[in-house]
Amino acid sequence: MELQLGLALPSNPTSKAFDLNYYGIEANSKEVDHVIGPCYTPSYENINDIINIDNNNNNKRSFGQAFENSTRDRVVPRTLPLLLWNNNRPNEEDDPKDLENHSLFAANKNVGDGDGVVGWPPIKSWRKRLCHENQVVRAWNNNLMVENGYVCGGRRASNSMYVKVKMEGVVIARKVDLSQHHSFETLTDTLMDMFRKSCEKNSNNYKLIYQDREGDWLFAQDVPWRTFIRSVQRLKLLKSSG
Amino acid sequence: MKMMMGSSFPEEVLEHVFSFIERDKDRNAISTVCQSWYEIERWSRRRVFVGNCYAVSPAILIKRFPDVRCLELKGKPHFADFNLVPEGWGAYVAPWIAAASSAYPWLEEIRLKRMVIPDDSLELISKSFKNFKVLVLSSCEGFSTEGLAAIAANCRNLRELDLRESEVEDLNQSSGHWLSHFPDNYTSLVSLNIACLNSDVSFTALERLVGRCPNLRTLRLNRAVPLDRLAILLRRAPQLVELGTGEASDLRPDVLSNLSGAFSRLTSLNLSYAATIQSSDLIKLVSQCQNLQKLWVLDYIEDLGLEALAASCKDLRELRVFPSEPFGVEPNVLLTEQGLVSVSEGCPKLHSVLYFCRQMSNDALRTIARNRPNMTRFRLCIIEPRTPDYLTLESLDMGFGAIVEHCKDLRRLSLSGLLTDRVFEYIGTYGKKLEMLSVAFAGDSDLGLHHILSGCENLRKLEIRDCPFGDKALLANAAKLETMRSLWMSSCSVSFGACKLLGQKMPMLNVEVIDERGPPDSRPESCPVEKLYIYRTVSGPRLDMPGFVWTKDEDSALGLS
Repeated sequence: MELQLGLALPSNPTSKAFDLNYYGIEANSKEVDHVIGPCYTPSYENINDIINIDNNNNNKRSFGQAFENSTRDRVVPRTLPLLLWNNNRPNEEDDPKDLENHSLFAANKNVGDGDGVVGWPPIKSWRKRLCHENQVVRAWNNNLMVENGYVCGGRRASNSMYVKVKMEGVVIARKVDLSQHHSFETLTDTLMDMFRKSCEKNSNNYKLIYQDREGDWLFAQDVPWRTFIRSVQRLKLLKSSG
Repeated sequence: MKMMMGSSFPEEVLEHVFSFIERDKDRNAISTVCQSWYEIERWSRRRVFVGNCYAVSPAILIKRFPDVRCLELKGKPHFADFNLVPEGWGAYVAPWIAAASSAYPWLEEIRLKRMVIPDDSLELISKSFKNFKVLVLSSCEGFSTEGLAAIAANCRNLRELDLRESEVEDLNQSSGHWLSHFPDNYTSLVSLNIACLNSDVSFTALERLVGRCPNLRTLRLNRAVPLDRLAILLRRAPQLVELGTGEASDLRPDVLSNLSGAFSRLTSLNLSYAATIQSSDLIKLVSQCQNLQKLWVLDYIEDLGLEALAASCKDLRELRVFPSEPFGVEPNVLLTEQGLVSVSEGCPKLHSVLYFCRQMSNDALRTIARNRPNMTRFRLCIIEPRTPDYLTLESLDMGFGAIVEHCKDLRRLSLSGLLTDRVFEYIGTYGKKLEMLSVAFAGDSDLGLHHILSGCENLRKLEIRDCPFGDKALLANAAKLETMRSLWMSSCSVSFGACKLLGQKMPMLNVEVIDERGPPDSRPESCPVEKLYIYRTVSGPRLDMPGFVWTKDEDSALGLS
């Protein structure tokens, strides 16, 4: 695709010079006759269904009449594109790398907080919360069924609920399956076991905090287990002071 | 001819004739005939829809239409639903309510979507409009149960209260449950949707309310109402035709069979919160709803359930299948493209689809397109970005191409999967009735965007994220933007320089650069902006922009504030 800037003369296809004053005023000038590419006459039929402008202006109200408060000249000229699209051979001056860099830049920016891409898949926040909670409930129910002798056959349902756990001072994080626990006691026991080699033996030296759905960090022991399990996103073990 | 009509028909006659003309498009056309028709029309327009609250100001609206009874406003761009619009961007409805409270004492209906509405505004509504009947707050925020209590207490003629998907702060502790603020002699409720409320609902208050409102047709409740309680409500209100359940953790087979009579009357069913229903129970439930026109469900329904749906629900018009585990890498349910194909084959009236899945093929899309040329809304979300046709590993260009080619009345389309510029060529060629297009992780170059903007004649809303579209296509089609309601582009390659140029040269557009990294002119002009929101407006740049939004500075010709 070779691109021509709007009002540059056709004989100067690669010029990037663009006379800003020229645009939009001399709509009838000869240069413009040579212009190729899409030209739109704005049709205002759809403006929020409450504004009426007719470009023909035959005994019809111009924008200026319709909206006396407006100080601008509302008779809309045939506007021209700011660039023209000319379907010739590719413009070798375009540096595809630039575009890629920009896209990469953009893509990197998009990565959410360890959750993948922000806003994807496109489901509303309250549904995301629901999914998380439902996962927990299903895991719970499935565990209960297993405990009571029922077998969940057939479904490829994932029952586990892994969250990341970091211990203060330890470089490598772990993951724990919360669906296997029903109380803070068993959870902290398991966690201390996991980090056994990297930490002090006594679990009283660590406090368990968790990050909830809203991104806030809270003390796990301050809330009932049910509340905790429904909103926990990740865990941290902090060294107690003193 | 015009002169004759002007003088021979008295105003009252014209007004009476105009009262039969309801569509905004038609009323707009009438108003351009001549001065007197314009005047008569504007005094008699009762229903106004403002698709972008920043496209026009309350003052302009009130000046043009002095006696509006039904007002509908939309605020934030659609991608705000997915957290792409930072908090505090705007869409404040308070100035509109304040203006309406003095200008429109006979206002009956307010419908808002993606707007911020404080409790004060709710209270003002409840006290300003004596004949207030309908309040719909769709995906709104900024209010609490206090505001709802004011509505309940003061709106004697309220018919419809619909809080669909709004964020409501729960302050029930302070004022007692808001539902009990409906006075005992209040009986006019027709439709109640409180599905989004996080807090517990006073079941007694609800039951009494349902019991004394004989015209109640629609009830959508939140998670806190267990299904057996729902059965009680259903028996109290046998005229219900639309029902949405809360958390259906009690959905045992015996409960289900007690409700089966009620289910067969339902035309609309929303089970998209109900997580614990097993697939087999879902199938049983759905098979009883022969009159179903609209179904929203989680993907637990699986291909098998959709096949049952296709066999039982021949009146189905709209289907939405949401993902139960959207962030899981492996599929957790047996839901594939086959489910959608089955429904497209078995339900002749199906025209609106939202479908989340993990695999798709061009073949399936072609089949769906051929089965359902009456499709008007087709939104497909293949969960992993850039997923190819799982059978051929090719792009899904041809499949979506078939959709736009065969479905000639398609008005809304959302794309996903692996897509090249070619799909946009098809869309530009065939999507002549397309009004809204959503694009993510697709395309190769500016040519893609150019195809859309130059080909889709009826395009009103375009939203794009994570696509390699830059300045060229945008600037080459600048004039097109004035024919659309809005354009959203985020994580693309549009430079700040191009935004400045657009803002300067197109006075009818607000070009908003949304960038949380700080002032755009602290970076080179060629640097791409984070997010870009462009919309046409007659009220100029807005005055309530937060710090992270930049637009042209009206006073200076070239500078941007």
